[in-house]
Amino acid sequence: MSGATEPRLRAPVFEARGLVKEYKRVRAVDGIDLTVAAGERVALLGPNGAGKTTTLLMLLGVITPDAGEIEIVGRHLPKERSAAMEQVGFAAGYLPLPERLRVREFLELFGRLYGLRHPAPAVEQGLERFAITHLASAMGNELSSGQRTLVGIIKATLNRPRLLVLDEPTASLDPNVARRVRAGLERLCAEEGTALLVTSHNMVEVERLCERVVFVSAGKVVADGTPEAVAARFGRDDLEGVFLHLADGGVAHEPDQEQVS
Amino acid sequence: MNADRVLAISRRQFYVLWRAPQRWFDMVVWPVVDAVLFGAIGIYFGQQQGGTAASVAFLLSGIILFHVVFQAEVSVATGFLEETWSSNLLNLMVTPLSELEYGAGVALFGLAKLLIGVSLAAVVAFALFAFEITSLGLSLIPLAAVLIVVGWAVALVVIGLILRVGQGAEMMTWGFIALLLPLSGIFYPVRALPDVLQPIAQALPTTHVFAAAHKVVNGHPLPWGEVGIAAGGAVALSALSVWYMTRMLATFRKRGYISRHM
Repeated sequence: MSGATEPRLRAPVFEARGLVKEYKRVRAVDGIDLTVAAGERVALLGPNGAGKTTTLLMLLGVITPDAGEIEIVGRHLPKERSAAMEQVGFAAGYLPLPERLRVREFLELFGRLYGLRHPAPAVEQGLERFAITHLASAMGNELSSGQRTLVGIIKATLNRPRLLVLDEPTASLDPNVARRVRAGLERLCAEEGTALLVTSHNMVEVERLCERVVFVSAGKVVADGTPEAVAARFGRDDLEGVFLHLADGGVAHEPDQEQVS
Repeated sequence: MNADRVLAISRRQFYVLWRAPQRWFDMVVWPVVDAVLFGAIGIYFGQQQGGTAASVAFLLSGIILFHVVFQAEVSVATGFLEETWSSNLLNLMVTPLSELEYGAGVALFGLAKLLIGVSLAAVVAFALFAFEITSLGLSLIPLAAVLIVVGWAVALVVIGLILRVGQGAEMMTWGFIALLLPLSGIFYPVRALPDVLQPIAQALPTTHVFAAAHKVVNGHPLPWGEVGIAAGGAVALSALSVWYMTRMLATFRKRGYISRHM
């Protein structure tokens, strides 16, 4: 971590306590507690169906939890959802850009929705930061999936959020662009104290970007700590080994739910 | 309510309409087709019975006012549908945008579409059949206002249905409005309906709007009693539709139906 203060010692930007979500007979999220501090880069990991996306959608206010509390920058969901979302940016690699909008129009629309009265400068800055100024006039449906992801990340950072939530952000990026995105995100977190919460199935990417990983399996947090500590706890060489172990139904070598520092 | 967000949504709706010519169909083609169709029927029946001007005025005032409620409803419902068609619902739902701001933005641009659609029908009625909708005078204002509120209320029910059952409910955008057409006494008095349908017709606010409009077309002053019943019905319908839409949104969030739109 490049900052002077340990992330855990900083004020939490996001806190979730005892989150539970059940769909019919399936308990997708089963008592998840999660705190992310300012400037911290955290990955929420786990096999398909582990409860990652449901957790993200609950903290974004799109899904109502059956139980538990969510607080973002001191704002409680769902009551203060609108005020809380002013401090949050979100992008997902799987989301298309809306049809019939040019890239600049799309970014300016969302800039205004996030409260920017004059979004044009922030849009230009974002396009330059990710080196895609040449796409400003392109229609959303003309972009490659990687380009769409970059535009989505620019959208998510227009309002200089205190919490940036990215669902599979680099899934469709080539290694060179992925590296630039990673560098841009690290800079954003270090310089502006933005907390980053990211999901990914690319464990190498996670090891490079995130200083803390939270593994979920069957809706529960099964490990929480630095990538190295979590891998060691599961007796694996790296996060990919942990991921495959959990995907096969494995458990940790030690009691669950303890922070690994 | 944040005015910038409301205007941003209206602008988004403008881009969609501007770049999707097929979306002009409801706004341009239907009003023209209906004005020609009902104007011609009015002429024909008038010739049979010797009252051409009266029958043309009766039918054309009906169809033009019908397009007020139709355009108000369809513009708001399709405005929301556009977000589901382009998988933009999640993007919008994670912003600070409130439901009220979104609805206001779509409805605001919907008013512009309504103005274009209804004006086109009125111009065709005047150019081809010498019928001036402005002959209703200032009575048009309260009548159109009630119809707009009814249109928005029906649109909220449609949006609630789409949230609840998914895009399969999109046909109700046009379906609900089609139900109003025979039941509202637009082209005939309610007493012409089968007995079993007449109480249903009387319960609809639109029926009282069209009854009032027909009286004005026949040279009578605006029957404020009918307008009052229509306005009361529109307020009650709006309250019900807001309640329904709010319930369906809560269900949408509770059951995680956003996954249908990702």
